Amino acid sequence: MILLALIALPFIAGLLLLIARPNAQSRSIAMVASLACTMIVLSQCWRYTGGELTFLDNDWVPDWGLRLKMGYDGIGLLMLMLTAVIFPFIIAAGAKENQENPAVVNALLLFTQSFLFGVFTAQNAFLFYIFYELSLVPLFFYLLFWGGANRRAITMRFFIYTLLGGLALLFGIAYCVVQEPSHSADFSALHALHLPYDTQVWLFWALFLAFAVKLPIFPFHSWQPDTYTMAPLQGTMVLGGVLLKMGLFGVLRFVFPIVPLGTEHWRELVVWLSIIGAIYAGWIAFRQTDLKRLVAYSSLSHVGILCAGLFAWNTYGITGSLYQAFAHAVLVVSMLYIVGAVQRRTGTTDFSVMGGLKLKSPRLAALFFLVMINAVALPLTQSFVGEWLMFNGLWQMEGGLWMTVAAVSTIILGAVYMLYAYQRVMLGPDTRVKPGVLLSEIADADQADHFFLVPLIAITLVLGFYPAPVLNLVQGSVQLLLSSLN
Amino acid sequence: MSVLILLSVLGVVLLYIGLSGAGSRAGASSILAPIGVLGVAGAVALLLRDVYINIPDFAHMLAFNDMSRWFSVGILVITGLIFLFGLDYYAKEEKNVAEQFALIAFSLVGALMLTSYTNLLSLFLGIEVLSIPLYILAGGKRHSFRSSEASFKYFLMGSFASAFLLMGIALIYGVCASFELGHIKEVAATSGGNILFILGGFFVLVGLTFKVAAVPFHFWSPDVYEGAPTLVTAYMSTVVKMAAFAGLLRFVNMSGMPQSVGQALVMIAAVTLVLGNIIALRQSHFKRLMAYSSIAHSGFLIMALVSSAPDNERAILYYTFTYSLATLGLFMVMTIAKRAANGDEHIRIFRGLFRANPWIGIVALLLLLSLAGIPLTAGFMAKFKVFQLALGQGHLKLTVLAVAMALVGIYYYAVVIREAFSPSDQAPVLVVSPVNLLVISLCGIAVVVLGVMPQWVL
Repeated sequence: MILLALIALPFIAGLLLLIARPNAQSRSIAMVASLACTMIVLSQCWRYTGGELTFLDNDWVPDWGLRLKMGYDGIGLLMLMLTAVIFPFIIAAGAKENQENPAVVNALLLFTQSFLFGVFTAQNAFLFYIFYELSLVPLFFYLLFWGGANRRAITMRFFIYTLLGGLALLFGIAYCVVQEPSHSADFSALHALHLPYDTQVWLFWALFLAFAVKLPIFPFHSWQPDTYTMAPLQGTMVLGGVLLKMGLFGVLRFVFPIVPLGTEHWRELVVWLSIIGAIYAGWIAFRQTDLKRLVAYSSLSHVGILCAGLFAWNTYGITGSLYQAFAHAVLVVSMLYIVGAVQRRTGTTDFSVMGGLKLKSPRLAALFFLVMINAVALPLTQSFVGEWLMFNGLWQMEGGLWMTVAAVSTIILGAVYMLYAYQRVMLGPDTRVKPGVLLSEIADADQADHFFLVPLIAITLVLGFYPAPVLNLVQGSVQLLLSSLN
Repeated sequence: MSVLILLSVLGVVLLYIGLSGAGSRAGASSILAPIGVLGVAGAVALLLRDVYINIPDFAHMLAFNDMSRWFSVGILVITGLIFLFGLDYYAKEEKNVAEQFALIAFSLVGALMLTSYTNLLSLFLGIEVLSIPLYILAGGKRHSFRSSEASFKYFLMGSFASAFLLMGIALIYGVCASFELGHIKEVAATSGGNILFILGGFFVLVGLTFKVAAVPFHFWSPDVYEGAPTLVTAYMSTVVKMAAFAGLLRFVNMSGMPQSVGQALVMIAAVTLVLGNIIALRQSHFKRLMAYSSIAHSGFLIMALVSSAPDNERAILYYTFTYSLATLGLFMVMTIAKRAANGDEHIRIFRGLFRANPWIGIVALLLLLSLAGIPLTAGFMAKFKVFQLALGQGHLKLTVLAVAMALVGIYYYAVVIREAFSPSDQAPVLVVSPVNLLVISLCGIAVVVLGVMPQWVL
C-alpha cells in the first residue's frame, strides 16, 4: 500500500500548491513531497529480491478489462528509481530560474511526477494508457505558459505528435482487448495472447508508434529539437530526463511481449532507423551554435543508440539500454543545469558569442567538464557501462558488425561536438559574453550549483565504477522477458 | 402513457402562466424555470417506476423497454438542466418567455416518443412533434436576421428530410403491409432482399441522419447553430441529438434491416468523421465550431450504431449523455463569456477566462477535455468503448480512420483550451449567477465522475 503513496503524495501536494498558491514556499513543499517519494522508492529497491510484485489489484470497469492493477518488476523498479531520484533535482533546478507563479509550476511538476509513477507501476494496459496520456496534460500547460519564443505553435505540435502516437496505442490496446477471450487488459493476459503473424506485423506499428514518437526515434523526431529548445529549463529536464523513458518502458511492456513475431519482422529496420537517427542527430548537433539546441540534438543522438540497443533484443542490449536510460536521465539534467548556469552568466545560450568563461568561473568549468566526460561516455562513467553493453548487444545480432561500427561512430561524433562546445564556451584567452552583460558581474559556481551538480556527478562516477546495484535490479526481469519470448 | 401526458400538460401550464400576466414580465423565467424543472422531475419519477416497462401502449404504438427508459431519463435530466439555464438566460427578457419554455416541453414529448416507438407511424409523429417546436424556437431572436434565417433554413431542410422519412415508411409498408417494427423484422428475415424494402430503409435513414446532422445531411447545422439563440442551440445539440440517436438505434436494432443498410451507415460514419473534424479545424466562431464538433461526434456514434446489437445501446446512451453534459456546460460558459464580450461569439471571447474566474476556467477545461477524449473524462471512456465495439464487429479500417479523426478533434478543442488559459490584455468581467455556476459545476463534475466510474451508466 505504501506504493500508492507514490502516486497520491505528489498529486495531493500538487493540488495543495494549486489551491493555496504559496509562491514563496512552494519549492520547499514540492521538494519535501518529492524527497519522500525518493525515500519510498529507494527503500523498495533495497528490499527488492526479484520477481514481480503486485501491490494493488481491484476491479474498476470489469466489462472493459480495466482493472486497478499495479505493481512492478525489476524493470519497473528501475524506472521508478530513475524518476524518484531525478525529480528532486528537477524541482531544485527552479531555484535559480526567474519564473512567474512558482507555485503553479511546482504543482504541474508534481502532477507529472505522480502520473509517471502511475505509468511505471501500471499492470493493466488500459491503466497504463490513462496515466500515459495524463502525464501530457500538466506538461502541455507548463510549456504553453512558461515556454520561450513561439511556444504556442511548438507546444501544439508537440501535443499533437504525442497524441497521435497515443491514439495509435489506444487503437492497439482496443484491438488486443477485443481479441483477448475474457476481454481483460491486464498485461499478464495480453502477454499470453498469441496473435497470428500477419496481425502482429501491422499491430507492431500501432503499438510502437506511440513510443517511437515519445523517445523519439528517426523519422518521428521532428517535434523534439524545437520543443526542447523552447521549453523552460525544468520542462526540458522532464521531457529529456524522465518522460522519454516512458517510451523505453512501453516498448518492453507492450511491443516485445505482445507482438514478438512482429518485432522479429521489423527489428532490423528499427535498429537501422535508430542508428541512422543517432548519426544524423549527432551530425546536426555538431553544426549547432545554440547550447540548448545542442543538448537537444545530443539527446536525440543518445536516444537513437538507446533504442537500437533495446531492439538488439538480447540480454546485453536490453540491460545496456536500461542502464543507459538511467545514465541519460542524469546526464540530461546535469547538462541542462549547466546550460542554465551559463545562460544566467552570459545572457545567452548562443556559444558563438561566448568564450573564456573559465577565466571568470573556473569551478563551473570544472563541473561542466565532469558532466561532459559522462556525455562522451568516457570509461568509469555511467554512460560508458551502458554504451558498452549496448554495443555488445548489437554485435551479437545477425549482421551486427556494421550496426556496431555505425553505432560506435556516434560516440566519436559525440566527443567531437561536446568538446567543441566546451572549448567555445569555457576556453580561450579572454572572457567574451553577449554585449550588454557586464563582465564584472559574472560569478563563479556557488554553493547551490555545487549542491546540485556534485551529487549527480557522484552518481555517474559511482555507478560507472560499480554498476552492479542497477544491473542486479533489472537482470532477473530481463532474463524472464527474453525467455518468455523464445 | 402518463409521462407523455404529464409533459403535454406541463407545456400547457407553462403557456397559461405566460397568459396570466405573471409570465410576461421581466423575471418571468424565475417562475417558469422551477415549474419546468418540477415537471421534468415528475416525469423522471414516473419513468423510474417499473409499471410501464415492456407494456405496449397507445394501441401498440409505443413500448418502453429498459433502454428507452434510460434514454428518456437522460433526456429529461438534460432538459431540466436547460430549464435551469433558461432561468438566467431569459431573465432580462420581457415578452414570450413562457412560449419558449412551453415549446421545449412540447418537443420533449416528441423526444420521448422517439425513444419508445414500436411503430413507424409513431416514429414519424415523434420526429415531427420534436421538430416543429424547434423551428419556432430557432427563430427566437425575432429581430435578428440570423435567427430568422436559421429558423427558415431548419424548417425547409427539416421538411425535406421528413418527406424522405415518410417516403421510406411508405415503401417499407408496401413490402411488409405493416408499420410495426416486430412485423417488419419478420418480413425482413424472409424477403429482406427486396429492392423496395432496402430503398425504404435508406430513406428512413436519410430522415433520421438528418436529425443527427450526419454528412451529407449536415448542411443545416452550422447555420442553424449559429443563428439560433444559444439556449436553443444547446437544446438542439444535446436533447435532440440524444432523442434522434435513440430513434435511430431503435430502428437499426429492431427492424432487422438488411446488410446493405448497415454498409450505408458505415459509409456515412466515415464521411461524417472526416468532414466534421476537418472542417471544424477552420472554425473560429464558437457556435459553428460546436456545430462541426457535433457533426464529428455523430460520426463516432454512428460507428457504435453499426456494432453488434445489445452492446451498442449502453454505449450510445453513455456517449450521448456525457457528450450532452459537456456540450451544455460549454454553451453556458460561452453565454457568460459572450455577455462580457458584448455579444461576440468568436472563440477569442474565451481568452483570459481562467484569470477572470479560475473555477469556471477549470470546469471549461474538464468539459473540453471530455469532448476531446482525454483519459479520466467521460468522453475518453465513450470513445474507447466505441472503438472496442467497432473492432469487435471487424470494422478495422473505420476504426483506424476514427482514431485519426479523434486526433484532429483534439486539436480544435485544444485551441479553445489555449484561448481560455491565455492571459488577455483586459481580463473579461464575468457575471456568473448562482444557478449558472451550479449547473456548470454539475456538468463538469459529472463528466469526471462518469469518466472514472463509467459502469454507473454503462
